[in-house]
Amino acid sequence: MSRFYYYLIIINMVANIIASVPAILLHYHNDGAIISMLLSIAAGVLLVTLYTKFFLKYPGKTLPELLEKTTSKWFYLPFVFVLAVLWFVAGLITLITFTFLLIRYLSPEMPIILICLTLILSVIFGCILKTDRVMYTVEMIMIITSPLILFIFLKAYTSNSLNWDFVREAALYINQVPNWHSFSACFFLFLGAANLFIFNRFFTDKQKFGFRQIMFIVLISIGTLFTSYFIPIGFNGFEGINDLVYPWISTTDSIRMDYFIIERVLFMFLLFYLGIAFLSILIHWYAAVEFLKFTFKLEKIKYKDKVIGIFLPLPIFVAISLYFVTVLTEYQLFQYSSYFYDVLVFIFPGMILLFTYINRRMKNEESSPEN
Amino acid sequence: MKSLPRKIKGTILLFVVLGSVLLSGCAFKDIDKSVFVAMIALDVSDDEEKPYKVTLKLYEPTGSFNEATEPQYSYLSENGETLSEAIRMMESYSDKELEFGHSKLIILGEELVKDNKNKEILDFLLRRPDIQMISWIAVGRPNAEEIIKMIPQGESAAYPELFNYFDSNGTTTPYIVTTHLFEFRRNIKESGIDSVLPIIEINQEDQHFEVNKSLLLALNKEPLELDSLDTSIYNMLSRSVKHANLLIKEEGDHFIANIDTVKSKYNVNIKNKSEIQLDINISLYGSVAESHKPMKNKDLPKYNEELKKESEEKFKEFITKMKKNGYDPLGFGIDYKAKVLHNRRMSDEEWMEAYKKAKVNLTVKPGIKSTGSIQ
Repeated sequence: MSRFYYYLIIINMVANIIASVPAILLHYHNDGAIISMLLSIAAGVLLVTLYTKFFLKYPGKTLPELLEKTTSKWFYLPFVFVLAVLWFVAGLITLITFTFLLIRYLSPEMPIILICLTLILSVIFGCILKTDRVMYTVEMIMIITSPLILFIFLKAYTSNSLNWDFVREAALYINQVPNWHSFSACFFLFLGAANLFIFNRFFTDKQKFGFRQIMFIVLISIGTLFTSYFIPIGFNGFEGINDLVYPWISTTDSIRMDYFIIERVLFMFLLFYLGIAFLSILIHWYAAVEFLKFTFKLEKIKYKDKVIGIFLPLPIFVAISLYFVTVLTEYQLFQYSSYFYDVLVFIFPGMILLFTYINRRMKNEESSPEN
Repeated sequence: MKSLPRKIKGTILLFVVLGSVLLSGCAFKDIDKSVFVAMIALDVSDDEEKPYKVTLKLYEPTGSFNEATEPQYSYLSENGETLSEAIRMMESYSDKELEFGHSKLIILGEELVKDNKNKEILDFLLRRPDIQMISWIAVGRPNAEEIIKMIPQGESAAYPELFNYFDSNGTTTPYIVTTHLFEFRRNIKESGIDSVLPIIEINQEDQHFEVNKSLLLALNKEPLELDSLDTSIYNMLSRSVKHANLLIKEEGDHFIANIDTVKSKYNVNIKNKSEIQLDINISLYGSVAESHKPMKNKDLPKYNEELKKESEEKFKEFITKMKKNGYDPLGFGIDYKAKVLHNRRMSDEEWMEAYKKAKVNLTVKPGIKSTGSIQ
């Protein structure tokens, strides 16, 4: 597979380390989190495989384009609009979580609107770029940030303060009934593949997706889940772990780099994760704008021969984000994102039915092009 | 940059601006408008209604290092009903913003620790996002205020000497326990491991600190003071030091073994549902530092035997003392939990019983390699 495909998958996994996924998992640390993680790896990898195989059949085609060909208007217009909402909310969750983090840890005296606005401004212009440009931005920022983030993880794994006894203690909670919320939170990590709905436009070449590629995704997902769940436990203990509102922030604050420019790893971690969060919001919102473009035919809205339609969703995005960032509390954010993940568990496997339908219709179309 | 489209240029520019805004951690406040806290001291006050006394050591800003030959600090102190109330009052005493983000050491007064106020203290220290979780935490004797107000002889400007004791970069002795705030929190919350804090004392005559004892804090128990020997044994067992000295007095020989490599392994051996055994293996490698009579190189095996006997005795004494009183500084409780599925574990009370009755299987592997430069 093209390396850009892996970027889509990896960013969705890695970006959520800092968002509410570990918090949800650790909240259920003695209530079936481990077994849910294992189950979600199986389910998630299956989903990624099915999604990828489907889109490989139609190189360069986005889901809205396929729907337009195979289904009728009353179905696909509302459907794509719902997709736009889902993608927007996914980006919004990352945005609000990160705004909360910044105001809590980096600049407590700055007005929250201003912080949120700075983040939005950097993302919002990315939403109207061309697809390939978005992918190149993704690659650039990945290359800049990932070595340092990997270094921080390595530092965490090799730290003397990481007590493996806690990790083993937590792992022994394996024989429990899986927990629904932890399952859906983990499952969300795998939904990076769903970005192909739009970004498949970029993958125009024929590509191979076999056993090796699947194993690679399995390895990445195990690594991400293991790191995001067990490292905080190793540093902060097992029993009091759900007291921490931002487990990963507290964990990076527990790592000390004696001989580095900044002793407190927390600030570096926040800064480099800002890059990853930026990418995650960019990808989600880019897809959301594309879905909206398709639903409302925004490219046809013109004013004095200039296309202004594609700019229309942006003020709405800004307004909704600013509204929620001021209204929501941390607990509500935690609760609502948990519900959001729960809903996605039903929607995305359901799409596979739609895919089989599209497959059949496309076959008919190919076999009888004249009709 | 010319070849890039304008939109990308704009994005990059915005990102750079955003980065530079966020990099300035002081949030638009000039650096000369904030004053940095070097240490935080928490004590019990004499006032009944305001039981907490908070003292802050502040770095005094100077123009340049050349002018500041002596370390300069200022202090703020206030009593409060709660810790944050005291801090809030102190903010009104200072003309500048109090910046806690650079404070590296938190000292708790001995009385405060013995009053069992750990929950309240921890809550305050952890809830504030600007207090580092990697700051060191220690107990001050007789109280925390005196400790932070003392400036020892020969202290350099801008870096308090007290930090060097803990950052394992200056002095490295087996008598200093280093505990970070996050470890303190973790061990207080967890049943199955108890936390150890170093005790800082002042030698009044010579104006220097003495850090060679420690305080063992356990849930619902009186804090137990570890003397210098116990502290060094704890440090060796918990793998936090590499160097140690052991005095050996056996069969007429009287020498000091200078240990430069300590390897220790300890775990719980589960015999049956309610019986456990503590397995501890320690390797001590090093040389002889001092002897009362001439030593022979060919007698090294004999000296090793003596080291083994003597150190096994001392280690065993330490473990037995901890076990008898139900203290668990090494975390055998966690090790037990790491081995048994959660629904088959004994309850905390049963574990305490089993732990107190546990057999100790302790072996020392001695490795004196040399008698030093002379025989």
